[in-house]
Amino acid sequence: MKLRTTEYFLRESLVSIGRNSWMASASVGTVAVSLFVLGVFLLLVLNMNRAASIVESQVQIAVYLRDDMDIGAIRWVGSEIQKIDGINSIEFVSKDVAIERLRSRLGDQSYLLDALEENPLPNGFNVTMREARLVPATAEKISKIDGVTEAKYGQDVVENLFDITQMIRVFGLCLMLTLAGATIFIISNTIRLTIFARRKEIAIMKYVGATDEFIRLPFVIQGVILGFIGGMISAIALSYFYSVVSEKIFDSLKFFPLLPQDPYMKFIGILIIVFGMIIGAAGSTISLKKFLEV
Amino acid sequence: MIHMKNVSKAYPNKVIALERVNVDINKGEFVFIVGSSGAGKSTFIKLLLREELPTFGEIEVNGKDVVHMSQSEVPYLRRGLGVIFQDYRLLPDKTVFENVAFAMQVIEAPRKIMQKSVNSVLDIVGLSDRYKDFPDNLSGGEQQRVAIARAIVNDPAIVIADEPTGNLDPDTSWGIMQIFQRINDAGTTIVMATHDKAIVDGMKKRVIEIESGHVIRDQARGYY
Ligand SMILES: Nc1ncnc2c1ncn2[C@@H]1O[C@H](COP(=O)(O)OP(=O)(O)OP(=O)(O)O)[C@@H](O)[C@H]1O
Ligand SMILES: [Mg+2]
Repeated sequence: MKLRTTEYFLRESLVSIGRNSWMASASVGTVAVSLFVLGVFLLLVLNMNRAASIVESQVQIAVYLRDDMDIGAIRWVGSEIQKIDGINSIEFVSKDVAIERLRSRLGDQSYLLDALEENPLPNGFNVTMREARLVPATAEKISKIDGVTEAKYGQDVVENLFDITQMIRVFGLCLMLTLAGATIFIISNTIRLTIFARRKEIAIMKYVGATDEFIRLPFVIQGVILGFIGGMISAIALSYFYSVVSEKIFDSLKFFPLLPQDPYMKFIGILIIVFGMIIGAAGSTISLKKFLEV
Repeated sequence: MIHMKNVSKAYPNKVIALERVNVDINKGEFVFIVGSSGAGKSTFIKLLLREELPTFGEIEVNGKDVVHMSQSEVPYLRRGLGVIFQDYRLLPDKTVFENVAFAMQVIEAPRKIMQKSVNSVLDIVGLSDRYKDFPDNLSGGEQQRVAIARAIVNDPAIVIADEPTGNLDPDTSWGIMQIFQRINDAGTTIVMATHDKAIVDGMKKRVIEIESGHVIRDQARGYY
């Protein structure tokens, strides 16, 4: 591509945007709004995904030990558990600690424990896994270790949680694909109007022997420029939106594990701008197809 | 220059616009395509430009096989042809100069020769002093002359015109024909579809008459 021609393309694209400034603003607005909605869903999915995997990793396996074991035997069980793949953390809970925790959980009614002559709770471990789906098999393995009387977990919770995270992921992906398709459709229709306004020019270009690539390029550049501006606006709006919302959430739900703004909003912003440019290019290419048939 | 062998064209709606047409046109000829409305003149022209493909038959234009060429070769076929229509087809927001230069720009002709080529063709059509005007400020005849300048600025081997005088009064039409004659004198082949009896009779060129898709007459120095 010759330099002089590149200059021609850029000038043509900018002139075209200027001449159809109303259409151009409409396209930019459409891209911005669609990408904003897309971005909100992306943030939602990412956050739910993250929350789910954190909750997942906090599902505990409660391991109870026989009462007659000495420190060495308990250590040995601990090290056996540690050898299993996918263990996130392991915590020893002595029978004294266990009864203290029970006492504080009972609160006002902790006097009930005073009636007991000796501590009925066993020594044990609390084990967490990196992924919820590993929990059942791991519990099974742990229960077979010598000295372990029982390895329990909230069976229903784990299975439901696994289903829910999976659903969020699939649903989020489908939603984003649909939204992306719809955005390309809207953009191609908006750009079609600018092309329609210049259809005479395109027909003349075809008659004097311009190649399709030559005719297409200014429109594609125009689409990319509009997509870029739309993406920028939506990225800025999105980062503002996220900072406001995460402040609100932080105020009311301190423990909720939100994605930190700092690196993530930068990535998402860049992603959205690039996506806007791709949508712009795809939109003009699609809408030009019909006009190139002369 | 142009060879049509056994060419038939049926449109998707089953209208048969041309049937078994055989035509040979040599370099430097000046040919009128005549016939009543709906006879198939525009279809003939569209086949030469590869705006339409024939249903049967072979077409060669400027040494190129029009029927079997790929879509990406079509622009290069058209660069060797200058096209003129009844309705001028100028771009209203470009000046006379820009309208003509546009034809060079979009085929990426070297910019060095652009100024000179545009001035020279505007001179041929007698509009050198109107280069800054916009099409809306020109008469129909002047607009058609700009369109002719645009058609010849890339120095095509063949000029193809579909009723170029269809919207013009007789005097203005004669002015246009004078320009075509000058272009033809310089060696360019001219194929012109027309209804205009006075012009055909006055020019005394080869006449090909089409009626309901058939060539019924092909006459050197003919009349309408
Ligand atoms: N795109 C098309 N689709 C279907 N039928 C068509 C198409 N173009 C032309 N025709 C038909 O083909 C026949 C020949 O049309 P054509 O335009 O070639 O005639 P013409 O000689 O140029 O007429 P005119 O003098 O009115 O311009 C007509 O019956 C017309 O209705
Ligand atoms: Mg016609």
